[in-house]
Amino acid sequence: MSSDPFAAPRARGGRAPDVFRRGAWVPMREYRESDKVDFAIVGTGAGGGTLAALLAEQGFSVIGFDAGAYFRPLEDFASDETEQNKLYWNDARVVDGPNPIQMGGKNSGKAVGGSTVHYAMVSLRFRPEWFKSRTTLGYGADWPISWQEMWHYYGKAERQINISGPLTYPWGPKRPRYPYRAHELNDAGKLLAKGCEAIGIKWTETPLATLSAPHAGPEGRSPPCAYRGFCRFGCTTNAKRSALTVWIPRALAAGAEIRDLAMVGRIETDGGGRASGVHYHREGAWRFQRARNVVVAGYAIETPRLLLASANQQFPDGLANSSGLVGKNLMTQSNQAFWGRMDEPVRWYKAPPSLAITEHWNYDDNKDFHGGYCWMGQGPLPIEWASVQTGSRGLWGDRLREAMLDYNHMIGVKMVGEMLPNEKNRVTLADDFDQYGLRVARITYEWGDNDKALIAHAIKQMGRSIEAIGAKDMFAQDNDTNHLGGTARMGDDKRTSVVDADCRSWDIPNLWVCDGSVFPTVGGVNPALTIQTIALRTADRIRKLSTAGAL
Amino acid sequence: MTEAPRYPGYDVLEKRNTPSWDAVTRRVIDERLATPDKPRFLTEEEWDVADALCRRIVPQHGEADAVSLVGLLDAKLLGDHGAGFREADMPYMREAWRKALSALDGEARAQNNGRGFAELSDKEQDALLSAMQQGRISGERWAGVDAKSFFERRILVDVPPLYYSHPKAWNEIGFGGPASPRGYVRLDGNRLDPWEAIEASPGQEVKAERENRRVV
Amino acid sequence: MAWARHRQVCRPLDLVAGAAPALPGKSRTETPTAIVIAARQLNRAAGTIATSVLIDSAMEHYRGNFHNKAMWTPIVTSLFSVAVSAHGVSDRRHRAHRVRDAVYAAAGIVGLIGTGFHIFNVTKKVGGFSWQNLFYSAPLGAPAAMSLSGLMGFLAERVRNNRPEGEPRVFGLPAARVVAAATGLSLLGTTAEAGLLHFRGAFHNPAMLLPVTMPPVAAGLLANAAAGPAGAQRTASKVWLAATAAMGVAGVGLHAYGVSRGMGGWRNWRQNAFAGPPLPAPPSFTGLALAGLAALALMKEHARD
Repeated sequence: MSSDPFAAPRARGGRAPDVFRRGAWVPMREYRESDKVDFAIVGTGAGGGTLAALLAEQGFSVIGFDAGAYFRPLEDFASDETEQNKLYWNDARVVDGPNPIQMGGKNSGKAVGGSTVHYAMVSLRFRPEWFKSRTTLGYGADWPISWQEMWHYYGKAERQINISGPLTYPWGPKRPRYPYRAHELNDAGKLLAKGCEAIGIKWTETPLATLSAPHAGPEGRSPPCAYRGFCRFGCTTNAKRSALTVWIPRALAAGAEIRDLAMVGRIETDGGGRASGVHYHREGAWRFQRARNVVVAGYAIETPRLLLASANQQFPDGLANSSGLVGKNLMTQSNQAFWGRMDEPVRWYKAPPSLAITEHWNYDDNKDFHGGYCWMGQGPLPIEWASVQTGSRGLWGDRLREAMLDYNHMIGVKMVGEMLPNEKNRVTLADDFDQYGLRVARITYEWGDNDKALIAHAIKQMGRSIEAIGAKDMFAQDNDTNHLGGTARMGDDKRTSVVDADCRSWDIPNLWVCDGSVFPTVGGVNPALTIQTIALRTADRIRKLSTAGAL
Repeated sequence: MTEAPRYPGYDVLEKRNTPSWDAVTRRVIDERLATPDKPRFLTEEEWDVADALCRRIVPQHGEADAVSLVGLLDAKLLGDHGAGFREADMPYMREAWRKALSALDGEARAQNNGRGFAELSDKEQDALLSAMQQGRISGERWAGVDAKSFFERRILVDVPPLYYSHPKAWNEIGFGGPASPRGYVRLDGNRLDPWEAIEASPGQEVKAERENRRVV
Repeated sequence: MAWARHRQVCRPLDLVAGAAPALPGKSRTETPTAIVIAARQLNRAAGTIATSVLIDSAMEHYRGNFHNKAMWTPIVTSLFSVAVSAHGVSDRRHRAHRVRDAVYAAAGIVGLIGTGFHIFNVTKKVGGFSWQNLFYSAPLGAPAAMSLSGLMGFLAERVRNNRPEGEPRVFGLPAARVVAAATGLSLLGTTAEAGLLHFRGAFHNPAMLLPVTMPPVAAGLLANAAAGPAGAQRTASKVWLAATAAMGVAGVGLHAYGVSRGMGGWRNWRQNAFAGPPLPAPPSFTGLALAGLAALALMKEHARD
């Protein structure tokens, strides 16, 4: 009988859960709080989990802290939407602004493995030009890393995550073959394809971080995807290549420690203006871990929250904030959709939701707004679908139940759209307090004119494709967002950025940020692959800096 | 709802002991089905108002297997199982519900000669809820929780998922239900795995029911 | 006892088969000649492939919910093919059998028609002739296996339809070469089909390389043996063909292991046996290897110097 993952930490006593075997454990090295570990990483998701593995494999001593629970997918995950809300960050937060962001399962996970435990596994590369959005395309901000370097690391990330993708990719420079073949399309995917062909644009099988064949690698023995369709509610199969199944096991094998149910509330600095460790709450008490380096990887809300909350006499505006940009330039991505009903059944609940995708409008610049978007197939489970009916169409009562009867005939496509950075969109500290006694994040957001123009264009194009396949009773879902980024932006000038190209903060040389917060722009693709890729590059840079004695 | 069932005879619970359900799912659904039908978070008065509200948001007119949505709502509030965040002009979930239930009942009494929300007819209740949704309800009573925001951000967010978290709703819409370890082999909409719901074409309800009773 | 019962079953068939005239000088009770042995080997090959096709098409068409009534056809024809092959394996006569011929011819034709159906199934899907549809729609090479079993059976009858003395010929050509050519091409074709599906599986297990390496080598050795004089090559060919035959059997075990690696393992057989690697497919290599061994046997009898 498995313990309750929330009742008490599981990673302790020299062992951590073996997520691949029921009731089994893997040995875990533990450090004392008085040990000055090389790296204390806050957050074990796409950024922190990846970096923990790579740094541990380089021989550094690493502790990965996560406020979330250490789930055992085989035993803790139910096939149930409501139960699985436990994967999300459900702590207190305040949202405001003209377009307040709805937090939770769309953008905020709380678990060892972070949001990758619940994400839809869509693994896309940034278009090359986006790394120089300002200089090549005239908007946003430039990344301080070249596209060639990022595309080199994308290949490494795709291999190590073991992405299942198409043999040829219709857009962008040639990329190496994905390690595993693309999945079989379900009807939702096939209908996206038909819609795209009907309006004359290309489509492809989505590169997904879930196995289309049994896993061959040494770090896990996972079955291939069983096409359950509960991807966004936790993969019980472990076919999903999340940080929990890919990076954390590697980190543990290389001697890293993971501390679950450990909420870092404050980063401590010493008299010399360097980070000295983290204060964290675990098992009912506040504790302190000494560290040579602190990496903040809590994603775009919790990272700035922690940096701001760690303000002290020397850094009254929060850590790494001489630019004043910590928390600012928050970006989300537009996530509008177009839905319709088919005469023939679709039964989109079978298989991962986004098996097919079109990135046409990421690469076609024939538009009168900046930025790009993609759209992908959908397969909402009942509660998700009911939420669209209530949220988009305001349905309730008999009309809601009647509309829901068409569940098995519905079709839809949903976008991931670029939103532009705006300093007014930001994360600050509210005056509410959470269960740890910490000030909660206030998330302020407003869509800009360019964002709205892009959304309008996308809704129209998605609508054309849904209409072209003969769907009836079509409607747009015009108010939704998903992934986040930007609140600790990366740059080459300390006045206009928080961290440099190596994810090292300008102000405090041993304080790093390695997650989606560092994105100067968010692009029109899901961010997870790019975050893991940044971590791969950062690990390499840390190795070089360490060898050169520059750490 | 007067429509003929689309998936007559289909019951996801029949798959409870098949590979479509695992132990943790059985435990979770059992718990949900055993949710006490009595207030543990809400007061008796709040419960009555919430019950009437839930019955309008997801009506189950005299259905024999009607789900007690107010019981599930009460359990959700007791466990504080919400998404956690609040809009800047709204309280957190629990406080919002308490305040709004009180305001809704007061609003009903003010507009209907002292009859509380639970005492109104279906039509009267619907009218009041529609007015909330359309932003036509405001005033002193709603100072702590805006009526329209509460309708959109709490009622529509919290109540319908209660129904659609229940096997009864899954049967109604022909959802495959829990799926672990057994997922799906045939991924097309018109190619069914033997453990999926058969949709009744008009006039074929008896045949579909017979087939659905064999679904496992 | 089983053999005696088998002869009882075969007699009614003999009555039905009718009228091919008995060749002079031989009766059923004498020991079978080398030609008959080779022919029976080909019947065995045909039967092995037909058994594979029977179970494979049944499982795959069950997975397809028999949505088209024509999907019952390969099950019927392969059943008959298995039956007549069993009959042929115990038949010592030096003449083709009309019913067997008819069944094998039908199997060959049904396989071709099936290939047409499968091509249509692939090309009508969105994306047409794409990797996605080659991987996941009706497998293009599968009906061909039916044709191959028909072909081998047909060759069995043609080989058998020769005088006991002298070099057996098929359509005027040396039988050994015809059978070797047919077998070699069939091996390559079957390798292509297995290779496509193992490529879909990303060759995640090194054993998946076996059916794309061993059979082509077998085909090469067989061609070499057929083209040249007798001698050492034929020993290598025989060994390699035997190994390929064993590979086909081992493949069933490896596919069973693959099924067990699906989520829920064998307990979830209703998903994993149908979504996982096809259990009945590998023995088609065994059947082809048997045909190759029959070709070698024919070469041995009539070796050139």
